[in-house]
Amino acid sequence: MSKEKKKPILPMIIFGIVSLGSYFVLFNQEGLVTETYTKGGWYAAFPILTAFWFSFVHGSFGSNLLDVVGLQAKKNK
Amino acid sequence: MRKVAAVLIVILMILPMATAVFAGGPPPKNLKKGIFLEVNEAAGTALFQDSTTQETSTLMIGYSVKAEDLKLNKKMMVSFEEHDGQVFIKTAEVMFLDLTLTKFISLIVVGLVGGLLSGFIGSGGAFVLTPAMMSLGVPGAIAVASNMCHKFPKALVGSIKRYKYGQVDIKLGLVMAVSAIAGVQIGIKIQKVVLDAWGNAGSNLYVSVVFVVVLVIVGGYVLRDAFKLSKNPAAADTQSKLSLRLQKINLPPMMHFKTAGVTMSAWITLPIGLATGMLAATIAVGGFIGVPGMIYVCGASAIVASATELVVAFVMGTYGSIQWAVSGLVDIRMTLLILSASLIGVQLGAIGTTYVKDYTIKLVMAATMLVVAVSRGAKIPVYLQDLDWATLSPTTTAVLNGISFWALIAALATAGIIITGAMIKGMREAKQEVQVEESHSKA
Repeated sequence: MSKEKKKPILPMIIFGIVSLGSYFVLFNQEGLVTETYTKGGWYAAFPILTAFWFSFVHGSFGSNLLDVVGLQAKKNK
Repeated sequence: MRKVAAVLIVILMILPMATAVFAGGPPPKNLKKGIFLEVNEAAGTALFQDSTTQETSTLMIGYSVKAEDLKLNKKMMVSFEEHDGQVFIKTAEVMFLDLTLTKFISLIVVGLVGGLLSGFIGSGGAFVLTPAMMSLGVPGAIAVASNMCHKFPKALVGSIKRYKYGQVDIKLGLVMAVSAIAGVQIGIKIQKVVLDAWGNAGSNLYVSVVFVVVLVIVGGYVLRDAFKLSKNPAAADTQSKLSLRLQKINLPPMMHFKTAGVTMSAWITLPIGLATGMLAATIAVGGFIGVPGMIYVCGASAIVASATELVVAFVMGTYGSIQWAVSGLVDIRMTLLILSASLIGVQLGAIGTTYVKDYTIKLVMAATMLVVAVSRGAKIPVYLQDLDWATLSPTTTAVLNGISFWALIAALATAGIIITGAMIKGMREAKQEVQVEESHSKA
């Protein structure tokens, strides 16, 4: 525990804001989004890319969040 | 590295041919999506505007769907049936239900625990999310699609995390995924034969029977193994006798899986993937056969097998999602709500695996499989009734449906509790170890 790494508070905040912002934008434009995303055909790119975007942004937020609260993997000896 | 590239190229070549890669059956074809502009109850007609083509047409109502079932100016999903040579509306469901606070919270909670389970045993969540969404009033096809679209980002995040812990065998995962894709095709063909022969109710019955039989046998075996290991933890490192015997079979091409620490003939590895895919197409949860297959047949440890399953889930989930998205059935709002919690849950589950012994993973997996089997088993009498092979009172049907749903919730809760408990225990032990080491180094 003596050589503890610095907690990634800043990355957590940045990814958190970007993620929250993305959620806000999508849910704020709910009608337009659901309409466009379900047109089918090539419009399929919308939901797929959105899912990738969130897995990156929100996934990174989650990872940093768990680090900050101190939930980390067991260190291998 | 060159080998990984070769496997990737093979996947890329196979994928265009795999026109129907999804778990739980293909997206329905004869669906129309659009808005009802006007309903004329007396004439039994409704004016419908197709949202893809923007064309308006007059549709017939009065058989399965009555005027009051149609909502004006809301996007609806419509399917059709024929009566006396005329085409009538068979079902009309509102595509995007209004998200109330309760629905909001339920999706997030189920997402969190589903993610935790997924990060821990490699699969999970899907079997409870689809029924949970449907019980909130989401049409079946939308529930399957939105759920699938949440599966691959979750599996991606989970597998990256577990890769960092050195638990993922990418090559094994890709080989499994490719053969699973082929298995899905076979599974769908079988489903179609059953559907044509016995109709919808027969298909439901078939799916449930396969579900229960497979889950009880495999789950029971895994549970027995977990108990044996908990009594004798030293045995955890030994591979199953079956896999050791299979590894001796020298039938080229031989494949070496570094992280799993296994060299095995492709003739044995591929059928496991095939079976995973077939099962995925039938019961929508391939992981319940993939993970035990990798453990007992390939000889991977439970930790490596569950981590590798996330790679399989990612590959299959991505292409499944593309299929459903092309059909325009993904409700991205629901996908994102579940993801908001499950992307954190899956990483927590992944962290959890570093603190527990191999048998804890087996225990959680077995417990989940058996409780889920109960849930599906409770539905069998209902399907028998649909086929007119049994008669049930409405109360019995309601009770059975209730048991089925709550057993799923119980499965999630049980798994969540075991994982959290094991993690807390593991973390405490790790802390004590560190303290002991520190006091030693000071002294």
